[in-house]
Formats: sequence, C-alpha cells, structure tokens
Amino acid sequence: MKKQYAVSLFLASLLIIAFAAIAGSGRNSDLPSPPAIGTTIDDFKLRDTDGTEHSLNSLKGKNGAVLIFIATRCPVSNGYNERMEALAQDYKAKGINVIGINSNVTEPAAEVKSHAADKHLTFTILKDDGNKIADRFGATKTPEAYVLDANNKLVYHGRIDNSLKIEGVVSNDLRDALNEVLAGKQVSKTGGAAFGCTIKRVS
Amino acid sequence: MRLRLFILFIGLAGGCSFAGVAALAQTPSAGAVTTNSKSHPGPLVLDGVDTIDNQIREIDLDGLKKLIQRDPKDTRPLLVNFWATWCDPCREEFPDLVKIDADYRGKGLNFVAISLDDVADIKAKVEPFLKEMKATMRVVLLNVNDPELAIHAVDPTWQGDMPATFLYDKDGNVVFKHFGRIKPDELRAALDKLAGSKQ
Repeated sequence: MKKQYAVSLFLASLLIIAFAAIAGSGRNSDLPSPPAIGTTIDDFKLRDTDGTEHSLNSLKGKNGAVLIFIATRCPVSNGYNERMEALAQDYKAKGINVIGINSNVTEPAAEVKSHAADKHLTFTILKDDGNKIADRFGATKTPEAYVLDANNKLVYHGRIDNSLKIEGVVSNDLRDALNEVLAGKQVSKTGGAAFGCTIKRVS
Repeated sequence: MRLRLFILFIGLAGGCSFAGVAALAQTPSAGAVTTNSKSHPGPLVLDGVDTIDNQIREIDLDGLKKLIQRDPKDTRPLLVNFWATWCDPCREEFPDLVKIDADYRGKGLNFVAISLDDVADIKAKVEPFLKEMKATMRVVLLNVNDPELAIHAVDPTWQGDMPATFLYDKDGNVVFKHFGRIKPDELRAALDKLAGSKQ
C-alpha cells in the first residue's frame, strides 16, 4: 500500500511539474521575476551618464523615489518623455525623486546623455551596464516604473498611465500611487500593464 | 484516503493549469470587429476558416477575447504574435514568423499577428512593412484605449513587453509562450509537438 501511495504522489508531482511547465509562471525562464509589492529594496549603486557613481539612497527624496526604466530608441518610452519630466518636477517638490535607469545594452551612456539633453530630461539617469538592476527589479520593458516609499519598500510596479497618446489618458496609475504615498495611505492599485519595448539585455 | 489525496493532487495540478488560462475563458460579448476599408463590408469571421484578403482589421477588447477564446469547432492550433512596426525585436523576428507561417499553414496552423501600431499608421507603416516581409498570416490591429484589460485577458502575468507570442492548442490551452524575440527552433518544436499529438 505504501508503494501505491508513493506512486500516486510521484505521478501527482509529475503532473504538477508538467502543468507548471506548460502554463508557466508568466515569464520566460531566462527572465528574472520582479520583487513582490511590499519588498524592501536594498540600496544599490550605478553610474550616471557622466560616469559619476550614485547610490539609490543618495538620490531618493525624503518621501521616496520613482525608478523608471527608460530607453532612447523606444517610441513608447519617448512618448512619455514630457510626462516623465513633468512628473519629476511635480514630485521633487514633494520629496519624491524620479530616477531614470537605462538598461539597454544597445544604448551607450553617451547616447543616453545626448538623448536626455535633446528631450529636456532633467532628472538623474543611471546607466545600468550588464542590466544588473533590471534583473534585480525583474524589469522587462520601457517605460516601466517602480515606486519606493521613504523606507525603500516597493509599493507600486507598472505603467505610468493607460495611454501612450496623452489625450487618451483616463487612468493616472503612477501619480495616483504617489499621491497615496504622500497622503500616508496604502497604495490601492499597486500595478498596471501597458505595451512597451523589451529591454535589450546582455546575451 | 490515499485515493482522495491523489485526486486532490490532480485537482491542484489542474487548478494551476486552469488558473493560467482562466482569463481566456471569459464569456464573449459581441466581439466588435471593424475594417479600415469600405471595400469589404459585412460581418467578419475571426475564428473560423476565413479569408486572407490583405485587409488589416481593427479589433477591440471583445474582438481580442473572441479571437483567443477560439471557435470550439476550429481544431487548428492558434499562434498569436503581438507586434508593432515601432518595436525593433518584433521587426527582427518577423521573417522567422513568416517562414513558420509558410511551413505550418499546410499542417493546419491558424496564425494571427496582432499589431499594436496606431490606427493612423496602418497605411503608412503597417501595410508597407507586411508587404516588404511578404507576410501571409492574418493581421489584425488591436485598438483599445486601456491596454491593461487586453494584456491581462491574454495573460494575467504579462506586463505588456513586446513582442509576445502565444501558441494555443485546440482546447485553448497555452502550450507555448515567449516574451521578447522568439527562438524559432523552440516555437517550431512546440508546433511539431502539437502536430504530433494530432491536435
């Protein structure tokens, strides 16, 4: 009987593995998973486009930070340039700093720097060589935003808003999350999906 | 008791699988499908054996759900690729997808490429690109104001990174999916496996 039980368990396990393999966790096996909402993010260091090293803790505001994975060549990311700059201006005064991160292996620091100048992006943009920080955050596309509160706790991960075309925006998910953080409330909608460009990782 | 435990495990395993496709099993309402051309009026069938007439049709959320939910009478495997002309890896993988369409259509593959381009770019960008690629698969353009519902209808864990490719068996189960540029050999292996199991 014990043998039957073991065989049953074994078969059940095999089925679970098979179903898991088929249904998948939602990510390719070669892509890292993002940290869960509520996870405290460890400090990290990256260089800006001038080569100066910054830590997350040195860049964040007293009330938190917004990390946005961005690109120079992605039309979706570029469609948000003005909105990201406005966001940075609006929330800097409120103690939440926007930090851009470029993890695309195809976009060198010099290009990121000139792109920021052309597009009038004044917030700090870090170059994530080897996509180490994109891996740590499970970031897969641009633009993709992560909100950390004053204690570096991840409280939002997802889109900036619902529409690439500004006239179609009806859901300001990222700003809503930031306003809740500032009001000392729990973020009610902790994520949102939108189409974006794949982050080009090192192979 | 042991039997019950076994059934429980099977149930759990099945549950894991169905959770992944639960969003696909929503009841469709009137799947709205429109065409950008007035030369082909009338209702369009998206799930059956329909015409390939080089028209790029717009679909909305309901149209997308209807498409991926399948017509129960259609036993062909369904391959869906989300792409856009503005997406570099999408453009890069497209020749591989055209070849796969050519190689597997005769074996019963139903391939729909879903463009996320702007409606205004159909004539200027989408059609010239498809012509250049000599694309023969069916192409529709997803036109939704809020992409989140569409993205989660396809896969609740998908963040919307592009390209994204999904292969469904005749029952609507996802048997292969990939975010980012496909590896053609992997997709072909999944298609061969479906063909081998006489879907």
